[in-house]
Amino acid sequence: MVEHSINGLPVEFDKLIYENEAGNKFLLSEIQWFISDIRLHKTDGSFLLIGDDGGEFYVDTDIPASLSIKPAVEIEVGDYTGLSFTFGINDEKNKSHRFVNPPESFMFWPNYLGGGYHYLKLNGKWQNTSGQTEPFNFHLGIGQIYDSSAPKSQWADLNSCCKSDHCEGYTPDGKTLPITGFIQNFFEIEFLNTPISIVDGKTTEMVLEMKVENWFKNPHTYDHNIWGGSIMQQQEAMKIGCENGHDVFSLSPKAIK
Amino acid sequence: MRKIPLGFLIISLLMLLFSCKEEEEAKWVTTPYIFDIPFAFPTKMNIPEDNPMTIEGVELGRYLFYDGRMSGRTHPDSLMSCGTCHIQANSFEAGRDHPIFQGGFVHGITGLQTPHVMLPLINLVWNQSGYGWNGFIHKNNPNTNLRNIEDFVRLAVLAEHEMNSDTTSVKQLFQRIEGYPELFFKAFGSSTITFTNIEKAIAQFVRTLVSANSKFDRYLVGQEQLSGPELNGFMLFTTEEGADCFHCHGGFGNPLFTTHLFYNNGKDTVFNDILDRFAVTSDPMDKGAYKAPTLRNIELTGPYMHDGRFATLDEVIDFYSHHVKWTEQIDPLMHHVLRGGVQLTPPQKEDLKAFIKTLRDDAFLTNPDFGRPDRFPDDK
Repeated sequence: MVEHSINGLPVEFDKLIYENEAGNKFLLSEIQWFISDIRLHKTDGSFLLIGDDGGEFYVDTDIPASLSIKPAVEIEVGDYTGLSFTFGINDEKNKSHRFVNPPESFMFWPNYLGGGYHYLKLNGKWQNTSGQTEPFNFHLGIGQIYDSSAPKSQWADLNSCCKSDHCEGYTPDGKTLPITGFIQNFFEIEFLNTPISIVDGKTTEMVLEMKVENWFKNPHTYDHNIWGGSIMQQQEAMKIGCENGHDVFSLSPKAIK
Repeated sequence: MRKIPLGFLIISLLMLLFSCKEEEEAKWVTTPYIFDIPFAFPTKMNIPEDNPMTIEGVELGRYLFYDGRMSGRTHPDSLMSCGTCHIQANSFEAGRDHPIFQGGFVHGITGLQTPHVMLPLINLVWNQSGYGWNGFIHKNNPNTNLRNIEDFVRLAVLAEHEMNSDTTSVKQLFQRIEGYPELFFKAFGSSTITFTNIEKAIAQFVRTLVSANSKFDRYLVGQEQLSGPELNGFMLFTTEEGADCFHCHGGFGNPLFTTHLFYNNGKDTVFNDILDRFAVTSDPMDKGAYKAPTLRNIELTGPYMHDGRFATLDEVIDFYSHHVKWTEQIDPLMHHVLRGGVQLTPPQKEDLKAFIKTLRDDAFLTNPDFGRPDRFPDDK
């Protein structure tokens, strides 16, 4: 089971009742993300991949069925030492048109920005410094490297809609720096000391919890007022998000009720 | 005189009838309709299990789609079919240039205007998220009469602002038209026409309406290059700090050019329409939300938005650039809202429009398989 929580309680969507580390009041509307390469680790150091055909699973708070991740392979009975996974999709597999069917295909990340798929769409609104509720799209995926030394004649004619001064790669006159490379922002999460026993004839259920508030703190305090409503073209913001991501997840056996 | 027991006679008659039916069914063979899935298109299609696609069903559906007697009437002034409003050359919308439906605002046989403007009939076989501007027809609907394209056919026949007819009249009329019973037999194994089979046939035809041969499609597979302005427009279309169209309207990774999902895109601050997404979900955050339509052939499908408030693409682009309005219900994807929109400059607007026009698919608009038949089954 995948659960999404804030401050230890299930997320209540579309309610302006949360506050992040930076003091931004915020609400969430939906969370959509990819988890991949889920591995069950054995005592001998080997592991078992529980997905098939690349091992990606799509999770969407609007699709209840997606909150239950079922192994695509038969799991051997025995004791496992823990579990690990990739948040997002690794560079080898994160290629455009890997998924042609929705809802996964709706997660595509534009080729111009690196291609492949969003790792995460965390959509909501925050109360900005003027007290207005402003939309934010905390979207993580492949970042871009912009050539800050390129002569103006080589700048791509994009646009100047991002008026704030933090927008990496953007200039006030409606052109943008050329992109010279991309940065893979996926990362690994490990729970290597979380014993999991698979018993013959019994179902073992684990709860993977995304503690949403942790995207915005530790080690970096993420302030929506600094980064604005959209960050797909702001590698620095995505980097902060990904570095904060190390303690976003927890894994525990499902409590028997 | 030798008497035949009554029971024996009844059994014999039943056996005779049964064997006739068996014989009839034995002769009924259909040919599966095979989709050639275009590059990068979804492989999962929305085809109900009880209405598999067949060549025979599609052929019948095409006749019915264009036959004005779908109104249940035969007087020349009272004819109306799906094809009366859904014009192929306008991507199966009326189009702003329609001689009767001025400005593209359609009305039914009674003269009543439809509550919303039309949506195009393009690539609907890949719509998994509900039909109509608010998605009230969807496959998980508890009301089993409101689940798929088949149900739209019935609603179109019944609606006062469309054909204003009744299903019994329609099926009885087609039963009497020479040629149709045979076509129904070929498609469904029975020459007795039911309205269910009328729905199924038209839905099958509509599912064949695939648009996947625009300039952009050819660019996608490396057969054609986009011009400089078109490429720049594509960049704008597909970047958050550009026009940010792609999250709702697709792009390279979603060539349907729609998610078929529902968004409040900031058109209004007061929501009075009783047929918005809220009407389906009862979620207050869905007030003012409507389907993001496909942008394929969009240059032909004005007027735009659910109420047709914008006549031209220029007006639409202007709206997204400068006139987006904030409300509590604004979709989070409209992250430029507090600036009024994405603030495109005039040259950028032109480039964006140039890209959007690469989604025009002339092969689709002129495909004879989708057009009005030269002859109907009873034409001599």
